[in-house]
Amino acid sequence: MFTNTLFLLSAVLTLGGAAAVVYTKNLMHSCVYLLASLFGVAGLYACIGADFLAATQLVVYAGGVVILMLFAVMLTGGSGNNINRYGLEKITAMGNTKTFFMAGLTAVVTSLVILKILASVFKSHSATVLTANEATVDKLGTLLATDHILAFEISSVLLLGALVGAAVISRPRKEKHD
Amino acid sequence: MNSTVVTYLAQSNEYSAVVAWLTKLIGFNANSLVAFMVFAVASLVVVGALATIGGLGTYAERKISADLQMRQGPNRVGPYGILQFLADGVKMILKEDIIPANADKFTFILAPFLCMVGVFATLAVVPFSSGFMLADLNVGIFYLVGMASLVGVGVFLGGYSSNSKWSMLGGMRGASQIISYEIPATITIVSIVLLAGGLSIKTLINGQGGLPQQWYLFHNPFAFIGFFVYFIAALAETNRAPFDLPEAESELVSGYHTEYSGMRFGLFALAEYIEVFVVSGVAVALFLGGYKVPFDLGTGAIFVEKLGLDAMIAKNIGQVLELGSFFTKTFALYYVVIWVRWTLPRLRVDQLMTLCWKYLTPIAIFNLLGCAVWMYAFDGKSIYSIIFESAAVVAGHH
Amino acid sequence: MSTFNLDVYMPVVILIALALLVAGGSILLGSFIRPHNPNKLKETAYECGEEPVGSAWANFNVRFYVIALIFIIFDVESALMFPVAAIFKKFNQIGLGGTLLLSILSFTLVLVAGIVYCWKKGDLDWVKSFNAPQVNVASKDK
Repeated sequence: MFTNTLFLLSAVLTLGGAAAVVYTKNLMHSCVYLLASLFGVAGLYACIGADFLAATQLVVYAGGVVILMLFAVMLTGGSGNNINRYGLEKITAMGNTKTFFMAGLTAVVTSLVILKILASVFKSHSATVLTANEATVDKLGTLLATDHILAFEISSVLLLGALVGAAVISRPRKEKHD
Repeated sequence: MNSTVVTYLAQSNEYSAVVAWLTKLIGFNANSLVAFMVFAVASLVVVGALATIGGLGTYAERKISADLQMRQGPNRVGPYGILQFLADGVKMILKEDIIPANADKFTFILAPFLCMVGVFATLAVVPFSSGFMLADLNVGIFYLVGMASLVGVGVFLGGYSSNSKWSMLGGMRGASQIISYEIPATITIVSIVLLAGGLSIKTLINGQGGLPQQWYLFHNPFAFIGFFVYFIAALAETNRAPFDLPEAESELVSGYHTEYSGMRFGLFALAEYIEVFVVSGVAVALFLGGYKVPFDLGTGAIFVEKLGLDAMIAKNIGQVLELGSFFTKTFALYYVVIWVRWTLPRLRVDQLMTLCWKYLTPIAIFNLLGCAVWMYAFDGKSIYSIIFESAAVVAGHH
Repeated sequence: MSTFNLDVYMPVVILIALALLVAGGSILLGSFIRPHNPNKLKETAYECGEEPVGSAWANFNVRFYVIALIFIIFDVESALMFPVAAIFKKFNQIGLGGTLLLSILSFTLVLVAGIVYCWKKGDLDWVKSFNAPQVNVASKDK
């Protein structure tokens, strides 16, 4: 009962947020809608018992990536000016008939492909078993520390690369004449 | 279901009787329905209590600041002015609601809501006592970190949407400060998770005891430093002085809520005061033994044994003791937070970032590694038990 | 397919709903009784009594963006550390603590190298051109 409610709420939040992200022309607003959508995805993760993934979604995406996007939008001066310095509208192609048509077509094709893959799963569903909500953290940690230790270690190198990259792109360019 | 308020109530016979009766009445398993109702009532109680604490927080802030500055403070409404927060609430509701003409209306209205949602959602995992806790999620502390980060988005949007320079500066500063200080706080939490071996708040608290030497604060030197790192980071995350740059009144008028008036401003303030309580509660749960009462009085077993009380009544007495223990420690920290505000001068913005990235974050990482090494080297024993054991060994030799 | 008993998430949903209700309710309640007589001057943004000049939505400094970037990197790092930290105690009890300690150490030290790099290159300084004028001031004082 509550599982269905949670699922419906999350699904509505995810899809509604995603639709609104595409629909709105204001960049700031689409960031806010994206937050709602990511929040809904966290709820969906919680529905399938992946509680750690849900919390990670909250911490990394809802807390981090959305702020990053908001800051990135502010780099361009917010949504106040839709016209760039050459007098052209910044977002010309967003939200007209052509893009909606293409997006709809892509969505239909993608969902057909996914449904084709998932069909076997849906057909072979056994009786629903109500299992206790057990911790996924321990399993994840054990896997990360044993079978996937290499991935764990390499991810730190990846993060190092990202850190150095972020530092380098932010460095002020050296002026030649100075 | 992990041990929450429902599990606690389910120990009594009346609970199962109610469930059985309702199941008969409506024709399907009423377990979830009853759980929902219990949760709804408990949530209402928690929200009511926390809103009052938040309101009294504003009163305490003014009264303590008055005390520190040898003034009277609010003393007109009610005895010792204690009803001041109600008067403030009424005033805020009655104030005219002004939305600037150039503001981004949608985000302007949304921002206080985001702050409220972020703070209220964290209340789900605040451990008031072993029985009275709304949800003991398996990822409790991590969930709390995630939900609390919504406040940053709210602060930023509040600053952005007003279309005022002060607000914009305050919002940018606030958001960057909140996310920066989340790093040392989170890494410190990781080091405590490492000591306790689990993410749920219950696991974190059960690794500790009621007496100070059983707390994680005195578990090892790294955890001791970690407490201060966490406390400083928590102060900054809640935009409290000396880190109240987002609302620095001497330079930014009122920061991100300059343009907010009436109840919309009130929501920001309420969210802030409740968040201070929540982070104090988390600090208590992580480092100061949480709701644990010395000598295991909290389980109530001793009352059954010594006084011959009914098991359920003894448990309830234990719960009350645990609530007392939790609230005493949390309010003590709350007092320290206010005390710090009226003692220390505000940091400059570059000092703020230096403190976060050059001091707290390296120290937090050092603490994390130190805790890991300590766990490995001493099999997870606390410094107290090591000294005690070696003393016993020395005594045995003589 | 198995479903999970998600009753433990009930308080989360209830609390979020309550937050919206409390916030929305108090604003709605006020709308019946509070005055509402806006005028043009009242609705301008506050700029110390002057008429506001231009919009506040200007291009912002890139350093805020960099802070957010570094924040996300450390956020992901802590998200990866949490599960490993959670099982450390268990592994330590069955005698695998040493290997896990080594992996945590190497994971963290790689990131520490990143911080040291940024520190040395001066990317953690908030005001990057702060030192240059200070030297001039000091030399003038002589």
